[in-house]
Amino acid sequence: MGGHAEEGKGSVSRRGFLKSAGVAAAATSLIDDAKKAMEPVGPAPAAAVRGETEIRFKLNGKETVAKVPPSMTLLELLRERLDMTGTKQVCDRGACGACTVHLDGRTVNSCLLLAMDATGRDVTTVEGLAVGDRLHPVQQGFVEEDAMQCGFCTPGMVMSCAALLAKNPAPTRAECAEGISGNICRCGTYLNIFRAMDRASALAKGGK
Amino acid sequence: MKDFTYVLPKDAAEAARAAAAPNCALKGAGTDLVDRMKEGVTRPDTVVNLLTATDLRSPIREENGRIVMGGATTLAEVAESALIRKVAPGFADAAAEAATPQIRNRGTVAGNLCQRPRCWYFRNDTYACSKKGGETCYSIEGENKYHAIFENVTCNIVHPSNLAPILQVLGGTLHVVTANGTDVVASDVAVKDFWVRPEEDISRENILVAGQVVREVSFPIPQGMTGSSYVETREKASFDWALTSCAAALTLDGGKIASASVVLSSVAPTPLQLEAVEKWLVGKAPSDALFREAGTKATDGATPMRDNAYKITLTAVVVRRALSAAAARATGGGK
Ligand SMILES: Cc1cc2nc3c(=O)[nH]c(=O)nc-3n(C[C@H](O)[C@H](O)[C@H](O)COP(=O)(O)OP(=O)(O)OC[C@H]3O[C@@H](n4cnc5c(N)ncnc54)[C@H](O)[C@@H]3O)c2cc1C
Ligand code: SF4
Ligand code: FES
Ligand code: FES
Repeated sequence: MGGHAEEGKGSVSRRGFLKSAGVAAAATSLIDDAKKAMEPVGPAPAAAVRGETEIRFKLNGKETVAKVPPSMTLLELLRERLDMTGTKQVCDRGACGACTVHLDGRTVNSCLLLAMDATGRDVTTVEGLAVGDRLHPVQQGFVEEDAMQCGFCTPGMVMSCAALLAKNPAPTRAECAEGISGNICRCGTYLNIFRAMDRASALAKGGK
Repeated sequence: MKDFTYVLPKDAAEAARAAAAPNCALKGAGTDLVDRMKEGVTRPDTVVNLLTATDLRSPIREENGRIVMGGATTLAEVAESALIRKVAPGFADAAAEAATPQIRNRGTVAGNLCQRPRCWYFRNDTYACSKKGGETCYSIEGENKYHAIFENVTCNIVHPSNLAPILQVLGGTLHVVTANGTDVVASDVAVKDFWVRPEEDISRENILVAGQVVREVSFPIPQGMTGSSYVETREKASFDWALTSCAAALTLDGGKIASASVVLSSVAPTPLQLEAVEKWLVGKAPSDALFREAGTKATDGATPMRDNAYKITLTAVVVRRALSAAAARATGGGK
């Protein structure tokens, strides 16, 4: 966009900005009143939805159609409407990582993601990692290294580890720590998780 | 969470027009907004989804001597950008150290700058504190371990954004669009002029009003022997909110500091530009002793509360570290 190429040019002072914003707000209500009187004017409003709305997205490789209200999170859709309970709900505020899924290959907290925002995207949950009976290398690593106790953080941990491994086939301890820094394990299984990652890295390379 | 009408604008202009509606909230990724909506602290009737506005997704690029990016650029995109890493590594560091990998993959630059404070009384629906129109600031008598040690007068929040101090240090600009009825006008605001102190208006943290959207964010490419940095302290080594943070940019000339920009955050309701320290640094040769002294000077005038005096020491530490890192990058020919 133009207008901001040079400092100062096209820019407004803070006071001027605050003032013009106030004027704009006042002008808006005037214009709104005028608009009610002599509709239609101006450009068409943006698209909007309310209530149960159909969305389509890919879930673990399968085209999926679901109906959701705008206020529903992807986590709620998965667990409560699609019966995909592998993804866990713990804090429900983006702070623990239990609800981690992949959105177009990147980890996200499904508890903070509105389901409607998954429209047209690729969602992978822990149920989608294994190929038939063959576990994903990270899952195999977790099993072999006993990387869980209560297991409640595990699906989210596995999803973070799988995303890290896809990006970095041989992560160091520090890179693993960074990779799972958004996942909290109350049981303190971190050291086993690091070992599981080493194992997964070897398995992914075809090692035994 | 209360149900709402979800608006899916195709660009910032449509978004701004829609956002002029009463009781409407703008949403980037929603990592802050959805959290507040679940708590019931924010209860919009209409939510405008900025992620469908294509001009907010304009790529990180160089344009007329500036780095420009759409307001909905993610923190991960900033952290991973080779261009930003090259010209302003402090900005890349600030993004890389924010939140968790999952949040960085979604959270947007504009959303990061406009996120609401983390004060636990503000975030808890049962406390009708001054910021929410009540009569009391609960942090004064209550738990104030994470609250402000500077400018803590009427509301003692600390500014939560990692990107705010570094973008201010870099002389950044927000490119805003404002709906004026069906017209939409563009205007620019310097990051340093973006913040609103509680004494000016306790209900908000920045100058945006209904019907305004941050479309793009930019900063001039640092020139000459300039280094930038962002340093924070936290309680946990893995993700955590900063206890204290400092962004700095130093330009060196002939072995001396030709110009300095130093901004503290996580210690006051808005990012704090340390003008006295900047002036004091100019003309001096960078050294560990100099930066240590600058750190001590940065704590002048602090007014800690019952539980947060520890932040004074941690303020001196981040200032010293940020200046050392900026100087090293400046001499290293890095930016
Ligand atoms: C567990 C956790 C840890 C975190 N740790 C950190 C941390 O260490 N450092 C840090 O900086 N942040 C941290 N965050 C905050 C996180 O970085 C922000 O929530 C995120 O960047 C906000 O971006 P968003 O797109 O999700 O914003 P949203 O939630 O969509 O919006 C946030 C606010 O900004 C407004 N807004 C959004 N976009 C625009 C726009 N284009 N124009 C005008 N207004 C807009 C919205 O109206 C809303 O009020 C953390 C968050 C969580 C959940
Ligand atoms: S610091 Fe501000 S947000 Fe927190 S309780 Fe006091 S007035 Fe409310
Ligand atoms: S349940 Fe989503 S991060 Fe904790
Ligand atoms: S195994 Fe129990 S929380 Fe991690």
